[in-house]
Amino acid sequence: MGGARGGWLAAALVAPLLLLILGAFLLPVGVTLATALRDPEVATTLPSTRIVLLGWDGRETPGEAAFAAIAQELGTALEERRMGDLASRLNFERTGMRSLLLRTARAAPRLEAPFKPALIALDPRWGEPETWQLLARASGPMTSLYLLRAIDLTRTPGGAIRAVEPEQAVFRTLFLRTLWVSVIVTLACLVLGYPVAACIARLSPPWSSIALAMVLIPFWSSVMVRSTAWFALLSREGPINQALLALGLVDAPLQLVGTRLAVLVATIHVLLPVAILPMVSVMTRLDRAYLRAAASLGAGGWMTFRRVWLPLTMPGVLAGGAMVFLLAVGFYITPALVGGERDQLVAWFIAQFLNRDVNWGMAAALSVYLLAMTGGVLALARVLTGGLPKLGARL
Amino acid sequence: MKRWMAGLAGLALGAVAAAMPAAARDLTIVAGGGALQDHMRRTLFATFGQPVVDSAYDYSVGPIRAMVQARNVTWDVVMVEAPDLIRGCEDGIFERIDWTVVNRAKFMPGGTNTCGAGAIGWGVSVFWDTARNPTGPANFQEFWDTQRFPGRRTLRRGARMTLEVALMADGVPAAEVYRVLATPAGQARAFAALDRIRPSLHFWTGGQQPIELVNAGEVAYALGFVGRTANAIRGGARYELNWNTLLFAFDYWAVVRGSENAAAGMRLIEHITNPAPLLALTQLWPINPVTAAVANDADVRARNPLMMTNHQAGGLQIDTEFWLEYGPDLEQRFAAWLNR
Repeated sequence: MGGARGGWLAAALVAPLLLLILGAFLLPVGVTLATALRDPEVATTLPSTRIVLLGWDGRETPGEAAFAAIAQELGTALEERRMGDLASRLNFERTGMRSLLLRTARAAPRLEAPFKPALIALDPRWGEPETWQLLARASGPMTSLYLLRAIDLTRTPGGAIRAVEPEQAVFRTLFLRTLWVSVIVTLACLVLGYPVAACIARLSPPWSSIALAMVLIPFWSSVMVRSTAWFALLSREGPINQALLALGLVDAPLQLVGTRLAVLVATIHVLLPVAILPMVSVMTRLDRAYLRAAASLGAGGWMTFRRVWLPLTMPGVLAGGAMVFLLAVGFYITPALVGGERDQLVAWFIAQFLNRDVNWGMAAALSVYLLAMTGGVLALARVLTGGLPKLGARL
Repeated sequence: MKRWMAGLAGLALGAVAAAMPAAARDLTIVAGGGALQDHMRRTLFATFGQPVVDSAYDYSVGPIRAMVQARNVTWDVVMVEAPDLIRGCEDGIFERIDWTVVNRAKFMPGGTNTCGAGAIGWGVSVFWDTARNPTGPANFQEFWDTQRFPGRRTLRRGARMTLEVALMADGVPAAEVYRVLATPAGQARAFAALDRIRPSLHFWTGGQQPIELVNAGEVAYALGFVGRTANAIRGGARYELNWNTLLFAFDYWAVVRGSENAAAGMRLIEHITNPAPLLALTQLWPINPVTAAVANDADVRARNPLMMTNHQAGGLQIDTEFWLEYGPDLEQRFAAWLNR
């Protein structure tokens, strides 16, 4: 009995945490994945057409029943204002579907049976099997369309997977660029932040608190403000160019805004505190006895650093690195403000799909890959952390 | 445990209650903000005869869609761009305009839509700083002529407006642009035209950037929003604004579907598109009215030589239906081209 009570109590105590994990992590991730896969438009707007098409062999064109159903349902959908999602969904898969559907829906009240010749006379595309194959493939409940398009893949009318035309391919480049920029930013933050963290950890109060505050104050100010400041600093008539001109290092102002360098510098500056703080926390808690022990065993400064200090502070480095990477992968404002046309990262395109195209499937699919990429790096960090005890055992 | 559950439920209910809007919300109108909206507040909204709250948004329709889907509509009248209006109308995001309340006859051609009544016009055209370049391109073919007019040029980062310009630069007459751009050969032609001057091109994202880029000497010639360029000229900038290169469109007032103030919203739209309050607004701010009586008012035209409506006849109206159909494809091709 007592054990069961204890179990309940334990469950009650961890319940808030479980709810938090569920609500703040599993649920959004699940919804995102579901949005990337869901394909409800044909099923909700054209239910009878869908059922007729389920019994179609997929060759030639379907029979009169399918034509009658789609003419009637498109007309109703236009009247009840449910056309938009369907039109965008099919037009995204094949350009031109939007006008075909709208033209048919507008003509629907005037059409008379037999509908097959009437629709084909209205638009010859109704006589093409590809149009009907597209409808049949889009009849849900799930689609791989968005997940394929988000890595520059598409399907042939027959259903086979192929790469999109080279002039359409953009997302693989984008993911590689996001990964590359994030890795550079992470490494730079660690290399720059490590000595700062070590300094702060070695200072004695009140200097350590003052130094920490100097890291925290920029950390607390808005990313937008810090990015805009970099725009001002790096612009053609900004202080950096003026200083370079005054020193005679350059003859004409350098083009800094709109370059990859500007994106890297500004992002590194914005994320540096995120790297420093976990490292400071690990370094302050580190027992100094290890360092004295190393010294008493005859280790020099370099040896102590390499064999004792570095391995023992590695968890802080990994934690800081993981956090910087996680934030860099989703960075949006800074590249948009100081970057050029070849510097936009995945997050910018996710926003474009949400706000400009209202294509939540594509936005979700890009997010899913971004999440997978981030998860991969986290797993790598985990493997590295797991490898630490072995390193420590050699001490 | 039970009490804890009850507590949690109470907390959740409290949160839901806090999130619910208070009863009898004020009539709320939402537009692009800035100085224009400050003037609109005084001349258009305050004269309505019923309290109107106004707020600003960044023209992203995402929040409006979410609002309608969640059945928690807190905005009544919004100013929207044409593509968002047409798609939103098909999706039932906006109410159909009640043309018995709003007088449809007072708008310019193309100034109304099933779900929208014309609010203001906007456009882009080529301008340059005469202090740096005394002369500039007379049309888009000359805009592409980097021999005759050396220096970098800036266009908007995006397929819409850029591909039309590229085709006109390649010699396609304005009236033919959308017919040509609908064909694969025409699309290839537009991208080939962009390729020709790619090294001289720079792309802007924010509406103020063309002016900043021209002022800093970063580019010699820019395609920028005419309203901002005209404002800069009125503010003393020595720009030449070439009206032969105008591409224009209208923004519309729309009522959010499911708004509890829909009826009042329709009356508000009728009021703020009426000549009297709009004429008052033109005294304070050089808008491009869509209400014909204001756009054609001899006094307004004489007072505002830089008003777009004076020069609209020779411009190309951006084809919203075209962009709804070809936009997803062409925008991605443009993004791919840009990243190549």
